[in-house]
Amino acid sequence: MSVLSIKGLSKSFGKNKVINNISFDVPEGSVFGFIGANGAGKTTTMKMILGLLPADSGEIFVCGEKVSFGATKTNRYIGYLPDVPEFYGYMRPMEYLRLCGELIGLKSDEINDRSAELLKMVGLADVNKKIKGFSRGMKQRLGVAQALINKPKLLICDEPTSALDPMGRKDILDILHEIKGKTTVIFSTHILSDVERICDRLAVLHKSEIVLESTLSDLKLERKSRAIELEFEDEIDSEEVLRVLKDGNLFPKKCEAANVEMSLESLYLEVAK
Amino acid sequence: MIEFIAFTKKEYMESLRTYRLVTLAAVLLVFGILSPLTAALLPEILGAIDLGDGVVLTLPEPSAIDSWTQFFSNIGQMGMLAVIISFSGSMANEFSRGTLVNLLTKGMKRHVVILSKFFSASVLWTIGYALCLAVCYVYTAYYWPSDVITNAPFAFFSLWLFGEFLIAILIFSGTLFGSFYGALLSCFGAIVVMALLNISPAIQKFNPISLSGDTLALLSGHKEIADFFPAVIICVSAIVILIIASILVFNKKKV
Repeated sequence: MSVLSIKGLSKSFGKNKVINNISFDVPEGSVFGFIGANGAGKTTTMKMILGLLPADSGEIFVCGEKVSFGATKTNRYIGYLPDVPEFYGYMRPMEYLRLCGELIGLKSDEINDRSAELLKMVGLADVNKKIKGFSRGMKQRLGVAQALINKPKLLICDEPTSALDPMGRKDILDILHEIKGKTTVIFSTHILSDVERICDRLAVLHKSEIVLESTLSDLKLERKSRAIELEFEDEIDSEEVLRVLKDGNLFPKKCEAANVEMSLESLYLEVAK
Repeated sequence: MIEFIAFTKKEYMESLRTYRLVTLAAVLLVFGILSPLTAALLPEILGAIDLGDGVVLTLPEPSAIDSWTQFFSNIGQMGMLAVIISFSGSMANEFSRGTLVNLLTKGMKRHVVILSKFFSASVLWTIGYALCLAVCYVYTAYYWPSDVITNAPFAFFSLWLFGEFLIAILIFSGTLFGSFYGALLSCFGAIVVMALLNISPAIQKFNPISLSGDTLALLSGHKEIADFFPAVIICVSAIVILIIASILVFNKKKV
């Protein structure tokens, strides 16, 4: 069964067509990577799923129920983590989760139990300072906790890692990895390595349209027999590698030098541990 | 109702922790104390000033009516200014900071936000107003125990109602413009327009601003309670319309 189903969705701002007739389904239990460059229309799509923006045409179904703008009925199935979640700075994390719990009608005991559990999961169990003193990473983690308080069937994360430092990014990805299987997650990003780490399905939004939709394993399978990744300790010239291959009568279709961004990132993670 | 209670609790926590309640109550309380005090001391202060050539101003013996004159002019101006500043950000800050997104995406109904904001602001205003009224009342009764003021309860009510009207304007303009200054300036704008309209005697009777400005005429007996009924009806209707309009605007607003 699809937790989220989008059919022929379109949206324009003035003359600018942001979303052009897109359709896709997110099956239950999957972690769905929604990939696109900045300004590709990811946030717009997510806001329409949440009923925060009206669609020009097309339909959105969450757990089989149709989403309509302004009404927030389908949001009871959804947990939402905005790209930059905003809180009331004068509250403490436990108080904020209490507000969220009360709003969705949980009983006091339930709120206490679930808040404690969620704060532990996101690593904020011992933090009792007011939210105005939180770092961006802490706010993002609290954002995950508040999004999960209603035990949503669908967790929507809008670029949850884009604004974070590598450490904060790793934390969020670890948390999302932990809830994999319990909740269906749709996760928008332009950071492909994040998708590779936690997603099992993905769709690529490019120039207002879905240009690729597949499972990650299918994509990997397609490339499996063709590509070999080599990693060297020492600095090495790719020409040299190609020469060795050529000598052995092997002619690769494509040659890519080491991913500088990736190695910097792993270096950072290593020294910042 | 569950949502309303939860959100209203948040509103009170906000008022306490951002010192909105304390500031508003303190400002109103100061004017509550100051009004009878000024009335009692003004003749002495002016009497002590030598205007030159030995000319000294002598004022008639102060009375309870002077104390209430001070009260209505202080609260009608500075008190209302305190209300406007306190509540300009109530709705606007939620928009400018984006703090409603998390709550609305949990399925909270939008009209709950408006109703809760209006309710909690009204309660704060009522508490602050009651406090300064009580203080002024006690002092006035202490200084001038034998003085009787006519129509006092209705005058108190009409100033309170005008405060409610301002709160409704602030919530509506805060929802419409989504910014602190938008709300603040719209409210000042509305007051200026009402003050200008008040120049025409035909409109005065219906003008909500007379609930704040004309209370002295009521106390001194120049006007009857019945003279204020049209303005009260207009004011109450305007509050209801503003709150409904706020909900309609908010329902169509992108957050």
